[in-house]
Amino acid sequence: MEEWDEVEVPDNVKEIFVDMKNTAELMVDLAYSAVLFREKEIAEEVLELEEYLDVLNYHLMVRSVLSARNLRDAERITSILQMAHSIDEISNAAADLAKMVLEEKLHPLVTEVILESEETIGKVVVSPESMLVGKTLDALDLSTNTGVWVVAIRRGKRWLFDPDEDTKVMPGDIIIGRGTRTALDYLKEIARGIIKVMPNE
Amino acid sequence: MSEYDEIRACLVEMKDLSALMIDLSFSSVMYNSEDIAEEVYLLEEKMDDLTLKVKRLTLRAAKGEEDPESLLSIIDLADINERISDAAYGIADIILRDIEPHPIIKEIMEDTEEELGRATVKSGSVLIGKSLAQLKLPSKIGTRILAIKRGDRYIYNPGKEDTVEEGDVLIAVSSDMDKLRKLAGEEVEEEE
Repeated sequence: MEEWDEVEVPDNVKEIFVDMKNTAELMVDLAYSAVLFREKEIAEEVLELEEYLDVLNYHLMVRSVLSARNLRDAERITSILQMAHSIDEISNAAADLAKMVLEEKLHPLVTEVILESEETIGKVVVSPESMLVGKTLDALDLSTNTGVWVVAIRRGKRWLFDPDEDTKVMPGDIIIGRGTRTALDYLKEIARGIIKVMPNE
Repeated sequence: MSEYDEIRACLVEMKDLSALMIDLSFSSVMYNSEDIAEEVYLLEEKMDDLTLKVKRLTLRAAKGEEDPESLLSIIDLADINERISDAAYGIADIILRDIEPHPIIKEIMEDTEEELGRATVKSGSVLIGKSLAQLKLPSKIGTRILAIKRGDRYIYNPGKEDTVEEGDVLIAVSSDMDKLRKLAGEEVEEEE
């Protein structure tokens, strides 16, 4: 594993906080994906992110304390620290969810709960005929155009977790996404090549 | 309904509510809104009740199980969702304790991947008179409506049959809030 003191962390409170919030939300999505598909590799990633989030939280606290210039400032900064603390709690909960996958003690009902909730997780296989192929996630903007948030991509034997905007979709990719059932079904049709154009084109 | 059906229904509700509570709690801080923070508090109480209900039902179900330990993950899932909702309450508590939110929080909420924001429905908007079922905002523009503010009243977690009216303030989480603002008839500065 990497040494955490060498990990790059954004250098101001705002950016650290944004990173923390995004990371915690990603962790919850990944944890539910790990549970749904019984994927230990995804669960391991959640635990790694949990460590990263702890580092972020520490840096946030140090910088917040440093930035207070007077009493009013200090008081307002407690609001940021309280939120960061809550985000950390959410990430701990996500990590415990991921641990359930590693311990292999999941009741089938847990899977059903994930599938029946309003926002669920789905697996979308990209066929070579799909209009998604060769385009970047940035260009596709799937969250806006289909309501599906890409959580991870399985490419061959490799996982791309939280793939960045320049990632190009390749034929055979398996996209793990979060969204409503309708949104996921819609993306599946696009990925199978049944729907040829995106709504906003 | 069997015990398992009941447990499943409770857990689905808990999972949906805990996700809603996080978004609501962040919006309460973003807009320094006591109304929204109060709602998070009420939902937190509901989550406590649901957690207890799941635990009781699971214990009852365990009596008929050959391997009662297999039910442990069900209780764990309830606990995890309860903890997420506690965390959300911790955020809303900032507002309930009357602590002034730091100004950068608003910028932060506009900068995260899932952007929080609100849009006011102007006269002539295409949204007016349509139900959320008709609008299908989650799949059409990647937007979930957390609450509708109508006059002094809030409709939290609006259902499919709720309709949008002129003057409504839509509190939403979205990958692109400007899309919702345009549909609501707000003037939106073009970014580039």
